[in-house]
Amino acid sequence: MKKPHLLVCAALVALSATAIGQVPQIPPASAQAPAVDLGGYWTPALHEDLMERGAGSEIADFGGFPLNEAGRLWALSYDPSRVTLRHHQCEAYLAPYQMRALGNFRIWEEREEHTQRLLAIHVWAQTTEGHRVIWMDGRPHPPTWAPHTFRGFSTGQFVGNSLVVSTTHMKSGALRRGNGVPQSDQATLTEFFVRHGDHLTNVTVVTDPVFLSEPMVRSNDFYRQPVDPGAWLYACDDGEQILDRPEDEVPHYLFGKQPYAREFSTRYKLPLAASLLGDATMYPGLNARLRTVNESEANGLLAPARGRASETSRATDKDSRDGNVHIWPVRDNVYMVVGDGGNIVVQTGDQGAFVVDTGEGKLSDKVLAAIRSLSANPIQFIANTSFRQEHTGGNAALGSAGQDPSLPGSFFLLQAPRGVTGFFENPLAHATMMAHANVQIRMQAAGAPAGAVPADTYLEDRRRKFHNGDAIELFYQPAAVTDGDSLVYFRRADVIVAGDVFSTTQYPVIDVKSGGSVQGEINALNAILNRTVYRHQGEGGTYVVPGHGYLSDEHEVLEYRDMVVIVRDRVKAMVDAGATLPQVKAARLTADYDTQYGANAGAWTTEMFVEAVYSSLKAQPSGC
Amino acid sequence: MTTLWIYLAGAAILLAPEMLRGVLELALMKPGIRLPAMIVIALAVCSVLVEAQRGGRGAPQAPPSPRAAAPFDLTGQWVSLITEDWRHRQFIAPKGDYASLPLSLAGRKNADSWDPARDEAAGEQCKAYGAAGLLRLPTRMRIAWQDDVTLRLDTDAGTQTRIFYFGSPQGNGGDWQGLSSASWDSPRAAFAGRGGGPPSGGSLKVVTTKMKPGYLLKNGAPYGANTILTEYFDRFDVPDGDSLIVITSEVVDPENLATPYWTSQQFKRENDTSRWSPTPCAAR
Repeated sequence: MKKPHLLVCAALVALSATAIGQVPQIPPASAQAPAVDLGGYWTPALHEDLMERGAGSEIADFGGFPLNEAGRLWALSYDPSRVTLRHHQCEAYLAPYQMRALGNFRIWEEREEHTQRLLAIHVWAQTTEGHRVIWMDGRPHPPTWAPHTFRGFSTGQFVGNSLVVSTTHMKSGALRRGNGVPQSDQATLTEFFVRHGDHLTNVTVVTDPVFLSEPMVRSNDFYRQPVDPGAWLYACDDGEQILDRPEDEVPHYLFGKQPYAREFSTRYKLPLAASLLGDATMYPGLNARLRTVNESEANGLLAPARGRASETSRATDKDSRDGNVHIWPVRDNVYMVVGDGGNIVVQTGDQGAFVVDTGEGKLSDKVLAAIRSLSANPIQFIANTSFRQEHTGGNAALGSAGQDPSLPGSFFLLQAPRGVTGFFENPLAHATMMAHANVQIRMQAAGAPAGAVPADTYLEDRRRKFHNGDAIELFYQPAAVTDGDSLVYFRRADVIVAGDVFSTTQYPVIDVKSGGSVQGEINALNAILNRTVYRHQGEGGTYVVPGHGYLSDEHEVLEYRDMVVIVRDRVKAMVDAGATLPQVKAARLTADYDTQYGANAGAWTTEMFVEAVYSSLKAQPSGC
Repeated sequence: MTTLWIYLAGAAILLAPEMLRGVLELALMKPGIRLPAMIVIALAVCSVLVEAQRGGRGAPQAPPSPRAAAPFDLTGQWVSLITEDWRHRQFIAPKGDYASLPLSLAGRKNADSWDPARDEAAGEQCKAYGAAGLLRLPTRMRIAWQDDVTLRLDTDAGTQTRIFYFGSPQGNGGDWQGLSSASWDSPRAAFAGRGGGPPSGGSLKVVTTKMKPGYLLKNGAPYGANTILTEYFDRFDVPDGDSLIVITSEVVDPENLATPYWTSQQFKRENDTSRWSPTPCAAR
């Protein structure tokens, strides 16, 4: 070699270039730097639980699920024919089961155009057209009053070589397909996605304080498809499957009356308790545990345990009680205001605000401030869904802060009952308040101040008003939770305000002494369902604002309606058999719903609900 | 940093004579050439200094032992969560009921000849406890480092032991657990240096061969002597929750399976080790 020293120099130059070319690297944020590429087409391997994922699970096969008593009873009460009901027909899968479903999956990234920052990872499941969005941009989860969806709200981050996903705000539905194993709307999901070559493993960890005694862990295996397998749609429209079925009929089995509960254990020569022991079924030692279960104990698993106190709701932060008032946009110019007792709805526009219900009245100043932040014009109308304090408590404060410019000089003003209600006397200093006539009557009877009592009332089935560009209808619901309930429907915005007819947090407050009844409550819930239209796969579309709890759509109303019908049927069966109220209460007929709606203290307890159902049924003519 | 200095010192010793000669020749160069050459040399020196300041990777060094390189801690006691194929795993399904297994025609024929009494008579009660079926049974497992290159996995169900060798497996196999070769596995770029940083995290990959023929299910669903079992052990820590090991496994058996058989098994960490309950193999 003639010039080895030049080679050395060249090497040094190369080294120099390498060093200079490598600018110091800024460690990428873990939330933005994919540790693994999940993009592409994936097909589930289906080498586990094929029956569940294909034909469907067998009745009473609950083995491997850590169901608590409520979960087990819910599943035993479930009749698969429930899916023949119109509103159940097109329901999508919940996120955990969606990942377990048949059909192909597609995963892709969404990046910000100019920075290429990873915003989200999308998962599309062929079955039920399940579209999941996993937000990777660090956004927080929504508040408890935000709507729930079948796939929930997901955020993710990369940890090690896996994607970790946290999902909240899921609807209620099936944790297992086909045999009633439930998942509640309080469940949360943690997932891990890890890839081994062309094999993707998805681990789902479901935590459900309502129906599970410990987290449920399952894993799903996928293999990568090199080409688009096509067939990404899953069209569904509901239809009439059983004609002439009464609207208040929901297929279910009474406790202890599930006729096929022993079929599974008999077919496979297993002890009856084998699939009913909840978390014990998941662990080694099940056979030894089964040897300790006698026949009586096993049979006892088919119905609520006797002599046990009712469970209470496991829901967290059911009603926002943080001392603040929060605004949640519903749709178009309709907003939900939460925090002061019952939910409040505000519609805004070029006219004055139209407000439905006024809350408890403890935070009226904050409610008013919230409304003013939404509407430049003062409150013009207030509609009350019932006379209950949690929905009319703020009437006086909100009413007196409003004005109704449509009244001065009008004929109606001249007809105002001066000195009685007072607020037509100076309409520019008070909003007009409307409700069913029974609300006025009951509030006056209770001695409510004149400025708090609706004066603009209606007597029959419907009151209507076109305001702020929308057709607003009040539909009277006779004998629901009281004798003065109205549903308020914003037609263009497609939002129904349900008042206490519907709640996501508690059993319906059926006030029998104030004219409420369980049948009227069921009818009112069906009246909502008769007006809702889902957008896609059983969710979205018409929004329903509950009296308490989170913004809903028809799915939540449907589940609530089913619950009231099922409890009614159980109580009725005992009433028909001659049971007394104490006997009905002791039977724990709400045991599968108590961990969701139950209360043993406070203004509305489980016992009060059961008593209301009992007494309204006893008050009915026989045969109803 | 020590490695870097060793590298620099070594480079200086190797290159010093040529560098000295280069500098001398540089001094004798024509002025027009000398300036660019000096710039090149200055850049080279700068690069070395920059590299030094950045803590460059330096010369090859002995790789850490597999134990030291472990991306996560697998050791401890773990209990299986039988949440999938529950009936087939907690109990012995009837003959002919092979659940989701992709058995081939030959595999089904073999499975249909299952006779637990025959297995017992032959002293083969452990046929369902071989490597390809063991971790789908209801069991607890204990994982520990036997040495820096060997992981040991014990189960209380059937009192079985699996040995995972990083590097060449030792032994001839032919027993229930066969020979297992282990490695740490993580996503890698197809071409080194083309983007992306070093892989983060990883899985324990275990490839097992030379197993004595056994059962994938206790009711006789078979796997043969030529089966290749590939497993990935991943640890997932649920925020505010349990630590899990999920074992994703692929069983390839051209004789008995029509396609590769893919499953994943969940285990939960147990801090209370008192439930460890060794039990012998049972054919029924």
